[in-house]
Amino acid sequence: MSDLARGMAEAARLLLSGDRELYGIILRSLMISGLATLLAMGVGVPLGYGLARGRFPGRTLVLGAVNTGMGMPPVVVGLVVWLLLTRSGPLGSLDLVYTKQAMVAAQLLIATPLVVGFTAASIQALPVQLPDLLRSLGAGRAQTLWTISREARLGLLAAVMAGFGAIISEVGASMTVGGNLRGSTRVLTTAIVTETSRGNLPLALALGLMLLVLSFAVNLLLTVLQQRRVG
Amino acid sequence: MDVVLNDVRFGRNGRTVLDIPALSFAGGTTTAVFGPNGAGKTTLLRLIAGLEQPKTGEVRVGGVEPGRNPAARRRVAFAFQEAVFLGRSVRRNLDFALRLHGIDQSERRARIHDVADECGIGPVLERPARRLSTGEAQRANLARALVLRAPVTLLDEPLAGIDRVARAQLLEDLPRLLATFAATTILVTHDREEAFRLADHMVILIDGAVRTAGPTGEVYRRPSDRQTAAMLGYTLLRLGDSWLAVPPGALGLGGGGGCPEFTLLVERAVDMGSHFHLLGTIGGVKVDLRLAAGAPLPAPGATIRVHAQFHIHMR
Repeated sequence: MSDLARGMAEAARLLLSGDRELYGIILRSLMISGLATLLAMGVGVPLGYGLARGRFPGRTLVLGAVNTGMGMPPVVVGLVVWLLLTRSGPLGSLDLVYTKQAMVAAQLLIATPLVVGFTAASIQALPVQLPDLLRSLGAGRAQTLWTISREARLGLLAAVMAGFGAIISEVGASMTVGGNLRGSTRVLTTAIVTETSRGNLPLALALGLMLLVLSFAVNLLLTVLQQRRVG
Repeated sequence: MDVVLNDVRFGRNGRTVLDIPALSFAGGTTTAVFGPNGAGKTTLLRLIAGLEQPKTGEVRVGGVEPGRNPAARRRVAFAFQEAVFLGRSVRRNLDFALRLHGIDQSERRARIHDVADECGIGPVLERPARRLSTGEAQRANLARALVLRAPVTLLDEPLAGIDRVARAQLLEDLPRLLATFAATTILVTHDREEAFRLADHMVILIDGAVRTAGPTGEVYRRPSDRQTAAMLGYTLLRLGDSWLAVPPGALGLGGGGGCPEFTLLVERAVDMGSHFHLLGTIGGVKVDLRLAAGAPLPAPGATIRVHAQFHIHMR
């Protein structure tokens, strides 16, 4: 219990002290996972919509693959991305291994199946004839998509939360492709691993609390958006 | 506003669903598109609404093709057979439709008020549209189409799926609602009574082709072929080499002095209180004779002579 209490105290002290390295790590985590989530939405929402509404051979197979991808171990994704980006790998010439870009790429791969799966499920829950209704009322393409997104907002925001939640809290891929370089690719989760292995438990715990608080803040914001009554 | 189809063909999965060389709906008329299930009735409405594009030919609403033009689609209000709503209140669903039609706010309020009153959905206006009962949903669905006061109103089976009492009430209300809110109406039904009670014109669609079209009375009095006659409620009886279409109630007991005569095999008599129904077959075709109460009833299995007081010769 004393470790826990000391962790809380340490967390409070670090936050209040305005420790530059700590705030750098928090900001970096937020930037990398935030960008990866945005990109995953950009890729995953259209894919999910297409999977929900499209009728093509192999659709069930693709949905099955997406559902598998929703539970993919991050460390495996990290390993594959690392093998692609490492000096001797097929994309080695890009010189991206152990960079923030590599971390974004790996997190994008982890988050996308989640976004696709949640989007497809939320679109499939809408009445099949909804696009026809909007078209018959004279809505253009953009208006139709906007209205459908609003109708599916519970599921779409759940997709953002699931995607962001998965990658802000994952450590395997970030560690493998980012390398946990201090001041460059160290994020909250990799920092926790480092401090724990060094035996610096109060600091590790403080970082863990930060992660929870950050995660809570982002999800609270999204939940407020999700639960707002649409006029 | 006229709706005109020219040389329209439409197929799905390699099968021809509709093949209509020429068909028009004059402005101001109410037309029932009447036919069996799978005849292509809903597809016809979808083409007119611009939700489908014909493979060949053209569909024009007031001269413009709605399939190519969102503004032209706004000339057509379409109530689907299965009511589809946004996850909002009935009022917001109606308001949304009007907003897409570019109606300003005060006008929207007034129109929703009027249509809710007339359609009897006032009490459910603030309820979530997806949680209405089937009857309420059907009325709200109708109201959303009518509130637009579009030049052309399409109704797909407006009385389907609701209970008998609600259906009877809506059947009574619909002519008044259409007179108030709709200009040119095209409604789809597979029910003969609905077609005659609601429409002044009729199009009979069978297997994707128009068998006959015109004012309802004319269509009824001159069925174009045996299948159409059967759809319209005629009993088709074979007499020698030809077919006779006999309208309901036109069979009488005994010989008919020059009228065509048939032999009826009696199955049973049903006592309706005020009268009897004699059920039987003529040459394997089921028939139903109405007899006054007190008339002597033939026993089941007996054969009796009957005559057709009125008939139409069919090819």
